[in-house]
Amino acid sequence: MIEPQMRYINLENLENISRGDDKRLFKYLIQFRELIPERTAQLQNALQLADRVQIRQILHKMSPQLQFFGITNVVDPIQRLECEYQTMAIDELNTLVTKILVTLEKALIEVSQLIDYKQNNQNT
Amino acid sequence: MTGSISCLIVDDDPFIQNLLSDKLQQYFPDIVVLAQCNNGQDGIAKISELLPELVFLDVEMSDMTGFELLTQVDHINFKIIFITSYKHYAIKAIKFNALDYLLKPFDLGELKNAIKRFKESRRDSYNPLTTALTNIKSKYAKDQILILRTQEGGMQLALNEIIRVEGDRNYSYVHLIKNRRELVSKTLSAIEELLEDKGFFRCHKSHLVNRAHIVCEPKNLHINLSNQTTIPISRRKKEAFYEWYKTSDHD
Repeated sequence: MIEPQMRYINLENLENISRGDDKRLFKYLIQFRELIPERTAQLQNALQLADRVQIRQILHKMSPQLQFFGITNVVDPIQRLECEYQTMAIDELNTLVTKILVTLEKALIEVSQLIDYKQNNQNT
Repeated sequence: MTGSISCLIVDDDPFIQNLLSDKLQQYFPDIVVLAQCNNGQDGIAKISELLPELVFLDVEMSDMTGFELLTQVDHINFKIIFITSYKHYAIKAIKFNALDYLLKPFDLGELKNAIKRFKESRRDSYNPLTTALTNIKSKYAKDQILILRTQEGGMQLALNEIIRVEGDRNYSYVHLIKNRRELVSKTLSAIEELLEDKGFFRCHKSHLVNRAHIVCEPKNLHINLSNQTTIPISRRKKEAFYEWYKTSDHD
């Protein structure tokens, strides 16, 4: 199995905290795979309802994990949304949140591929 | 474990709980994590049950804020390091009360510094949390107490006793009632940041003034204060100052 290339996530922080301990590395990867779909579903729901407060709260909550996984292209939109969630035009808010959701979907695929790759390597 | 430090992690994000717990385990073997709490209610129960020395407390949880948690704890005999995300509005309140905080997802250097400050403060009987709670419960800003960290511990200055603050490069003189004056190692800009929404205004590059101590309507770019001194208003700040003076609450 070929090692998947990471375009959306950066594993530097993960490698630093796991220090070669695969068990610890898996813990963070699996937690990402569990938490992010739950939060993106909440985010989609809040977006449909145009619930600005809820959007801010979900983004605020998920932001540290996304930073830790080096998903840098969502950092700026999240910070903007956190500051301007009440005043931003709804169209722009929609565009930014959708951009974040698309990026997270791709990051999630990468994390899943990485989990599969690591598990496969462990078994062989 | 002899000399160990007991701590609790209170945060409703399991990722943050794991990350902080792992970093503490890896870099601070003398710190023992007694429990990880998923919400404020759980935090309150575990604090009473386990009596930790140190609590890492999330500022914003789904069931309550970190400050709300503190008001519901029976005995504050522990110290706090708040944990928060980038640019949270509560950082200002944390700084005003000279409390410690860490930004998620935790820079190791900042974590080391915060732990070092905690260890140094273990010897002090003074706990800024007690005053912080009084501030949080105060309805009016004038009843609050500014806490400034000094080498000797903490300096407490009642806001209603501060007449003005005068900047002197990296230091500031706080002029108080009864002709008292305190020198603090903070720039005027840093103090302005703490006091600008509490009835204070930067009327000049070297002066920050307390609305409650202005004795009569300022004229000719000068302000008369309750301690019989006069300070200037800079031309650049004139318009903003008069706008603030008219709209700010005298109480």
